[in-house]
Amino acid sequence: MSSTTASPTHKKPSLTQDERVGKKSTLSILLGRPEIGALVGAVALFIFFAIVAPVFLSPASLATVLYGASTIGIMAVGVSLLMIGGEFDLSTGVAVISSALSASLISWYFGLNVWVGIALALVVSLLIGFINGIILIKTKLPSFIVTLASFLMLTGLNLGLTRAIGGSVSSPSIADMEGFQSAKAVFASSVNIGGIDVKITVFIWLALVIIASWVLLQTKIGNWIFAIGGDEKAARAVGVPVVRTKIGLFMAVGFCGWVLGMHNLFAFDSVQSGEGIGNEFLYIIAAVIGGCLLTGGYGSAIGGAIGAFIFGMANKGIVYAEWNPDWFKFFLGLMLLLATVVNIVVKKRAESSK
Amino acid sequence: MNMKTRKNKKAEELLQKLEPKTNDNLLTLKGVGKHYGSIIALRGVDMEVDPGRVTCVLGDNGAGKSTLIKIIAGLHQHDEGEFTLHGSAIKLKSPRVALDAGIAAVYQDLAVVPLMPIWRNFFLGSELTTGVGPFKKLDVQRMKQITKQELADMGIDLRDVEQPIGQLSGGERQCVAIARAVYFGAKVLILDEPTAALGVKQSGVVLRYILQARDRGLGVIFITHNPHHAYPVGDSFLLLKRGRAIGYYSKSEITVEELTAQMAGGAELAELAHELEQLGGHDEELAEAEAGAGPQVAR
Amino acid sequence: MGKPTWRKLAITLAIIPALGLAACSSTGGRAPEPESSAGGGAVAATDRIKVAVITHAAPGDTFWDIIRKGAEEAAAKDNVDLQYLSDPDGGRQSQLIEQAIDQGVDGIAVTLAKPDAMAGALKKATDAGIPIVSLNAGEDRFKDIGAFAHFGSNEQLAGQAAGEKLKDSGIKKPICVIQEQGHVGLEARCAGVKKVVPGTEILYVQGTDMTQVESTATAKLQADKQADAIIGLGAPFTMTLIKAKATANSKVEVASFDMNSQLVQEITKGNVLFTVDQQPWLQGYMAVDALWQNHRGGFTIGGGQATLTGPAIVDKTVAEKITSFAEEGVR
Repeated sequence: MSSTTASPTHKKPSLTQDERVGKKSTLSILLGRPEIGALVGAVALFIFFAIVAPVFLSPASLATVLYGASTIGIMAVGVSLLMIGGEFDLSTGVAVISSALSASLISWYFGLNVWVGIALALVVSLLIGFINGIILIKTKLPSFIVTLASFLMLTGLNLGLTRAIGGSVSSPSIADMEGFQSAKAVFASSVNIGGIDVKITVFIWLALVIIASWVLLQTKIGNWIFAIGGDEKAARAVGVPVVRTKIGLFMAVGFCGWVLGMHNLFAFDSVQSGEGIGNEFLYIIAAVIGGCLLTGGYGSAIGGAIGAFIFGMANKGIVYAEWNPDWFKFFLGLMLLLATVVNIVVKKRAESSK
Repeated sequence: MNMKTRKNKKAEELLQKLEPKTNDNLLTLKGVGKHYGSIIALRGVDMEVDPGRVTCVLGDNGAGKSTLIKIIAGLHQHDEGEFTLHGSAIKLKSPRVALDAGIAAVYQDLAVVPLMPIWRNFFLGSELTTGVGPFKKLDVQRMKQITKQELADMGIDLRDVEQPIGQLSGGERQCVAIARAVYFGAKVLILDEPTAALGVKQSGVVLRYILQARDRGLGVIFITHNPHHAYPVGDSFLLLKRGRAIGYYSKSEITVEELTAQMAGGAELAELAHELEQLGGHDEELAEAEAGAGPQVAR
Repeated sequence: MGKPTWRKLAITLAIIPALGLAACSSTGGRAPEPESSAGGGAVAATDRIKVAVITHAAPGDTFWDIIRKGAEEAAAKDNVDLQYLSDPDGGRQSQLIEQAIDQGVDGIAVTLAKPDAMAGALKKATDAGIPIVSLNAGEDRFKDIGAFAHFGSNEQLAGQAAGEKLKDSGIKKPICVIQEQGHVGLEARCAGVKKVVPGTEILYVQGTDMTQVESTATAKLQADKQADAIIGLGAPFTMTLIKAKATANSKVEVASFDMNSQLVQEITKGNVLFTVDQQPWLQGYMAVDALWQNHRGGFTIGGGQATLTGPAIVDKTVAEKITSFAEEGVR
C-alpha cells in the first residue's frame, strides 16, 4: 500500500506531516471505520456464547458457524457494495435459486456437461443484474420498486420454468452427470484443516471479501461506488461514469448470487424452486449490521462480512446454547436496530462540525 | 482499459480542434437559447469569458442562470445561437466532454460527496493509479500529498486530508472544489452561487479564492444573485431576467448601485419600496436587504 | 455498460452454446423419451364436469406436486375438467373458492388448513348446491363446513406412528426438525413423536434456505451428543439432514416424513430408517374421484367419517417395491 511508484515527471510534494494532526492512534483510526459497531457487537456476542455454551468454542462448532455465516456472507459482499453505491436489491434471495436452477435444468434437459450449465448460469446471473441495473437507470424508479418487480418475476419464473422443463417443482438430480464431481469439488467440498472439515464456501467468502475490500478502497471503481452512493449528482458532475458503475454493481451482486447458487446446487444435488424467498432481507440485514448506510455512500465489505458472522453466531449460538428459538427473530431485530442507531450516530458525526 | 485509451484519444482530438486561435475569446456565447418543450428557459444570451478575468452572471431565481451554466458545463445542450470555445463552435455532449475541453463547474450543492475524505473528493472521477491491467490500484499516497499541496497553494491550510469533506465549512468545501478544478487544468471555471448559503465571513473567504483562481489565469464565470458579492471581484456583468439578457456591462460602465437597481428591476423595486414605506418600512433598509439577498444561513 | 462489454456479452452468449455441443454429458440427464405418467385406459362415459381443487400450498413444494398429480390422473379418467389453484394465505384461498363458484364449477375440493377463513365462501358453495370434499387438512371440521367427505392423514397419528417405529428401533432422544416455525401440521407431527418418545427435542430451521438447514442441523448434532436420531419433516429436508449428519460426524439414525425418489433410494441403501408417508397422491385422486362418484350416482364415501390416506410406514422392506413409483412422482 505504501509503495508509491510515482512517475518521474511528477514533482514530489514537499509537505511534511502537519504538526496539528500528530500520529493517529490505532484506536482513533478504528473508531472511524464503518464496521466498528458491528465488530464490537461480534466480539461481545462471541464471548457471550463462549460462556453460555462451551461447545461453541470447539473447532468443529466454529467451522459450522463459519459455514452458516458464509452462505449469508457471500451474498452480503455484493449487497454491501450495492448499498454503498446507494441502491439495494430485493431479488437476491430468489436470484440465487434462479442461478442454481438454470445450471441444473440446462445441463439436465440438454444432457450437457455440468460445467456448461454452470457457465450459462453465470450468464443468466449477470444478465439478471444487468437487467435490474438498466431498468433502474432507464426508468429512474427507486431500486426498491425495480428489484421488487424482478423478485416477483424471478419467483414466478423459477416455479414456472422448473415445472415446465423438469416436470416437478424441484429440479431433477444431476448428481450422476459428467462434471458433477469436479464442480462439487469447486463449489461444495470441504477442506480439512487440522482434522476439522471447513466448508469451501468459507474460503470463497473470505476471498470475495478481500477482493471487494481491495476494489472499494484501492481502486477507482471503489472511489466511484462511494461517490455515486454518497451524492450521485456530484459524482456525475465530476465525470464519474454513474450508469456503468451502477450496472456493474448489480452485476457484481449477480455474480455473488451465482457463486452461492452453484454451492446450493452442488451441495444438495437438486434445488427446490420455491426456495430463497426472504433471504434477500438477511443479506441486507448483514450489510446494515456491518455498517452500510441504507442511504448509501458509507460502509465496507468487511462490515458486511462481520454482519454475516454475527448472523451466523446468533443463529447457531442459540442452537448450541439449546435455547428456545422462538426468540431468535426478536434478537436479530434488536441487533439490526442497534446497528442502525450506531450507524446514524457515526454518520452524524462524520457530517457535523461544519 | 480499452475504453480509457479511446476516451483519451477523443479528448486529445477535441483539444487539437480547440487549439487557441489568436484574437479569439476563450469562450463566447452568441444569441444562445434553450427551451424545454414549449417552455423557453433561455434566449438571446451573449457573453465572453477571457483568461484572467471574472465574468459575473446575475439574476433572480428563475432568471435562467442555472440553464446557462448547464449549457456551458455540458449538462444540457443549447438549441439556439452559437457557443464557441477557442474560436470553434461547439456543442458539449456531457460534463466529461466539457471537463476534457477545460471547462469545470463547481456547484453550490453538489460540489462534493460529504461522507468521502477530502483527498478522495479531490481526485474523484480523475483518480491516479499505479500498476497495470486489472491490478491497477489507487496511488493513495501521492493523491493525498497532491491534495495537501494544491490546497496549500490556494492558501487553504487543512489539518488532515483524510477527514470527510462534510466536516469542512461551506466555504472550505467550495475552495476544495475550486482547487480541484484548477489542478485538473480547467481553463474556464464556472462557480454556481458559491456564496449563496454562506455567512459574510465565509463568503469573503470564497471571494478571495475566486481572485486566486483568476490570478492563475483562469476564465471565471461567477454566478450569483448578490451584486455586492459580484461587483468587487467581477470584470464584466451579465444580467438575466426571465430567461433573457437584460444587460451586459464591463466594470467601468456600471456602479454597484446601478447593478442592484438593474437586477431588482428598477421600477419594480421602487414600487415595492413605496408599498413597504406605507406599511412603515424604510426604503434604504429595503434596498440593503435586496442587495444582501440570499439566505444568510449561519453555519 | 459501454459498448465493449455489450460485445463481450454477445460473444460469450454465442460461444457458450457452441461449447455446449461439444460438451455433452454421457451420463444422467433427461431421459430421451419421458413416459406419459397419466395411465392410459378408457375415459368415463359421463358428461364432462368441472372440478376445482383449491389448496393452501405454497408454490414450489414437491409434496403438493404429488397431490396435484393424483388429482390430474383422476380428472383424466373421470372426464373431469380440472382447475388446480392454490394460495397459502387464508383470505386469498377463500377468494379462490368464490371465484370457482362464480365460474359455475360442479364440485370443489378444498384443503381446510384455515377452516374459519374458508367457512364463509364454502357456505355460498353449499347454498349454490355445489358438492364439497375436503382433503389433506380439516379432518375435525369438514362436516361443519358442509363437505361430504374428507381425505387426509392425521398428523398427530402420523407422528405417533413414527414414534412407535422409533421406539421399536430403541431410539430415546430423537431431534425433530421443523422447517417452518409455527406451522400447525409440522408441530403436530413432532408432538405425535414426542407423545410416544418423551425424550424428543424440537429444532427449528429456516426451510427457505437449504444451506441454513444444513448448518443449523450440524450445529445441533455437534451440541447435543446424546441425540440418537434426527427426523426430517419433508423429503428434501431429510436429504439435507443426511449431509449434516456426515458433516457433524454424527452416528444418529435418520427418519423422515413424506417421500421423494431420492429418499426412497436412501431408505433402500439403509441410510434412512423409514419414512412416514401420508400418500398425498391418494388425497388428490380420491378428492376428485369422490366428486365424480357423487355426480355419477349421488354416492358419498367414508360414511361421514374422514378417510385416512396414511400414515403408511415405508421402510427398507417396502422401499424397493415402490422405487419406480417414486421416480414417476406418484409416491
